[in-house]
Amino acid sequence: MEPTKEKESEQTARQLPDSEVATTTAEGAEGAIDLEALLAGDEKAFEQLVIQESPRLFRVIVRILGDDDEAESILQETYLQAYQRMHTFRKESKLTTWLYAIGINLARASLRKSRRLSSLEDQEVEKMQPDFNRGMFVETPGAWDPSKITELSDRQQLVRRGIEQLPEDYRTIVVLRDIEEYSTDEVAQMLDISSGAVRVRLHRARGALRKLLDPHFRRQPAE
Amino acid sequence: MKALTILKTALGLAPGCKKVNEFLAEYVDGELDDKTRMQFEDHIGLCGCCNHYLDQYKTTISMTKETMEVNVPSQLAEHTLTFLRKNADFSGS
Ligand SMILES: [Zn+2]
Repeated sequence: MEPTKEKESEQTARQLPDSEVATTTAEGAEGAIDLEALLAGDEKAFEQLVIQESPRLFRVIVRILGDDDEAESILQETYLQAYQRMHTFRKESKLTTWLYAIGINLARASLRKSRRLSSLEDQEVEKMQPDFNRGMFVETPGAWDPSKITELSDRQQLVRRGIEQLPEDYRTIVVLRDIEEYSTDEVAQMLDISSGAVRVRLHRARGALRKLLDPHFRRQPAE
Repeated sequence: MKALTILKTALGLAPGCKKVNEFLAEYVDGELDDKTRMQFEDHIGLCGCCNHYLDQYKTTISMTKETMEVNVPSQLAEHTLTFLRKNADFSGS
């Protein structure tokens, strides 16, 4: 797995006065898969892993790539690599975390090769965060009324387009955290970055999406 | 804002908008310790800006969740197993 470089601006530690951010623990059922059998090369156990994890892993890859056919072939390649590299699994993370890391890396490589680029740059995401002066908002956020866009499908279209515009690493974190609801620590392991970096990017991604939606959802001033 | 909260914020004893915003992900995701969470609640309860921002932030998250439906092909796992039988030393069942 190639190491992901942490972004410079994320290395400046954020600090809260005399408190620490509680860490979430990454645990949960691994399903009924017999890990020892799997590590010993048991095909039946591997088959179970394919059946159990394929739908969710497919959804993650589709949302990163935005291409169903390519996602299916990336899924197959992911399981092939996992099968061939099973002996390298060190039990330092959950098996699924290890599997998803393989899938996400393959999806990213495919995205780079196809040069499908998202329209926002990292610096733009940065600029879409609110401005503060002396610790207070410079501009008062105007109240929202999403129902002013009456059709649900139109609202969803706006959100979908917003997510597609995010740079890939931000989009991937939104998919894993906000859609698939993996814990911050699990996402950090899947992406091989720190939990702090996951939190910062997740926050910026949500802030950028909020900014993209703002002009559409802002309540009209009363006449 | 209440005078005491304003004073505390000015003295750096309570978080201001910027600090609250910086840790909004942790706040929303329930990852803050109790003391900090209560400080944030105090601020947000009294600050219209943070109140609106939080509301929009949460709306953004919930819309993200409901919007990205994916149809999973019905034979997905079976296709993968066929692929493995063809390309790896895998016979399966
Ligand atoms: Zn505020």
